[in-house]
Amino acid sequence: MLNVKEIDVYYGDVKILEKINFSTKEGKLLGIIGPNGSGKTTLLKVISRILKPRVGTVLLDESDISKMRRDEIARKMAVVPQETSISFPFTAMEIVLMGRTPHLKRFENEGSKDFDIAKKCMKLTNCLELAERRIDELSGGELQKVVIARALAQEPKVLLMDEPTSHLDIKNQIEIMELMKRLTKEDRMIVIAVIHDLSMAYIYCDEVMLLKDGNIFSFGVPDEVLTSENIREAFCVQASVKKDPLTNSLSLVIPRKEKKRKIKEKGLLKIHIICGGGSGSTLMHSLNEKYEVTAGVIHKFDTDFEVAKSFDIDVVSELPFSPISDEKFKENLNMIKRSDIVIMTDMPIGFGNIKNLYSAIYAIENKKEVLIIDETPIEERDFTNGEATEIFKRLRENGGIFLKDTHKLLNFLKDFFEKNKK
Amino acid sequence: MKRRLLLILIALVFTLTASILISIAVGSADIPLKTIAKIIINHNHVSLSAEEVIILQIRLPRVFLGVLIGMALSVSGTTMQALFKNPMGDPYIIGISSGAAFGAVLAMQFSYTLVPLMAVICAISTAFVVYNLAKVGGKIPVNTLLLSGIAVGYFLSAITSFMMFKSGENLNQIVFWIMGGLWNANWNQVKIIILPIFIGMLALYIFSRDMNVMLLGEESAETLGIDVETLKKILLIISSIITATAVSMSGIIGFVGLIVPHIMRIVVGPDHRILLPTSAFTGGTILLIADTIARTMGEIPVGVVTALFGTPFFIYLLRSRKSSY
Repeated sequence: MLNVKEIDVYYGDVKILEKINFSTKEGKLLGIIGPNGSGKTTLLKVISRILKPRVGTVLLDESDISKMRRDEIARKMAVVPQETSISFPFTAMEIVLMGRTPHLKRFENEGSKDFDIAKKCMKLTNCLELAERRIDELSGGELQKVVIARALAQEPKVLLMDEPTSHLDIKNQIEIMELMKRLTKEDRMIVIAVIHDLSMAYIYCDEVMLLKDGNIFSFGVPDEVLTSENIREAFCVQASVKKDPLTNSLSLVIPRKEKKRKIKEKGLLKIHIICGGGSGSTLMHSLNEKYEVTAGVIHKFDTDFEVAKSFDIDVVSELPFSPISDEKFKENLNMIKRSDIVIMTDMPIGFGNIKNLYSAIYAIENKKEVLIIDETPIEERDFTNGEATEIFKRLRENGGIFLKDTHKLLNFLKDFFEKNKK
Repeated sequence: MKRRLLLILIALVFTLTASILISIAVGSADIPLKTIAKIIINHNHVSLSAEEVIILQIRLPRVFLGVLIGMALSVSGTTMQALFKNPMGDPYIIGISSGAAFGAVLAMQFSYTLVPLMAVICAISTAFVVYNLAKVGGKIPVNTLLLSGIAVGYFLSAITSFMMFKSGENLNQIVFWIMGGLWNANWNQVKIIILPIFIGMLALYIFSRDMNVMLLGEESAETLGIDVETLKKILLIISSIITATAVSMSGIIGFVGLIVPHIMRIVVGPDHRILLPTSAFTGGTILLIADTIARTMGEIPVGVVTALFGTPFFIYLLRSRKSSY
């Protein structure tokens, strides 16, 4: 059990951490995330008593660490620092054996038990083959694995890691994260790790702490903490978070920066996209750079809605699972009126979004160029007992331009743009 | 691996013993080995012959003094390099040499018998001042320690230079003392320094594993259970005492304390549990051999010999390892 109570930390007069309060217990993997300079490393240093807080206490199994001897703490808590530089030619094995220091008496040398533990820990972090190599000749990733093995050789109850995977390639990152997970679940360790990779934090952590300006901005299970709103506000970015329920993973959607500048340019072609169910995401991505893009009607929480939001695209949205209301329908027609080109993707069509087809009809009637992607035939995605197929026929007869796929559409747009310029 | 280190240690002890025997035999007065053996084994005469005086009162104390000072400087240098995590570390790094020189030169203005005492007092006081100048909020950042050592060193050197400039016919004496040498060795000196140096070296050896951990960086050492600030204090105090003790008898002999730890790290590796004793034996041997050479070349300063012969050897070792360390 680790309790952090009312911690304030200063460097000189600069406040680094303020009123930090949290606790975590055996079997938990706690991830600390937050922008640079938010106090993540400082917090780890306070927990490991490298730094003394001005106010507050850290309790390890109910006892105050500021009253414990250093070797006593070292038998319970191990630290993997952000950077390790060792310029003296120890072998990797010797470094890992140093992890046994707190368990040895002053005149005691490492015995066979210590060697066994060191070997076991090097096996765990997959670096036993480096045992006789010189530490100052290892690569960053190899060194990191050796340092983690050293921390494990302390046989700690609490493991603190400051960006443990920052020097590692993707395979090693996953291995180390899996190991951390296993240590918490099988050995009932507490692992607290500063993690920059939000998707890693989402996949592996039991709890996540989001720090901002020395305060806990949010703390809880990953789903609660890693939301688009939190990430946007804490990191001051326009990105949004996309969770994939199928793989239980998270990815960050980052918009291109140019958008705001483009809006001011006069004579930018206006394109309205009628889409849904994720069918418009790629288009928004590729069109947003060169044209002024709007979209609608899309249901809230639809992938297309999230993407549109992250690109700052104006979008008409409807409540989830509700049929498009007359009000939203009209709003959408107004947007269409203002645009030069209307694109309709090959989304599935049901009674909830059938009104979007009527918007397309409206667009044609208002002399707009209406481009329709027809990659999946309408019959296969008509869930309205034929009503949608009927409207499609009308679209075709009245001059809708049917294109086989997104690529053809983009080419068409390019030609259209060239023509319009002249 | 362990066997190899043990063999190296035995070889070093053997080399030291052999060097001691050879050094006793070598000198400007040609004394046959047989006579020397006889004198050493059987010398409880009331009145000593000239040969006996040379062996017992001149060469033997000088040999032992050389070995002791070589050991002290090497062990202290090894410790300072661990403490500062810096290969440029040497026993004098925190201003001990300039403090000792200042004390010695000051003493020479009054009485030559006061020189060792003043040297040791000023050396330790300098270390104390430097240490306190470097202290920030109960901690001693090693870089601040290094810089305040250099600053105080320059300040004292300035005063020393001024005194030298004003000293007139004493200048020769001062220069010789600062260059360092074992010209005036006698049994009394050996008796005075043997205990502080041996106890100091043993005390440092107790902390040899902690020195290993210190090389990982201070924060890592703390998380491995080392009380870093206390350890730094202990190491600084002990190594200042043994350095100051050595310097008070010999003047400032350079090079040994800087180079021997490096040579031994190349040979036996960085583990202080083996590095400290091997450095001690090698340091004793090297200073002894250098002094013997200095003696036979007409009493040139021993520092000249250590640097002149040691540097090429060191560079050879450095290059033959190829990789940096």
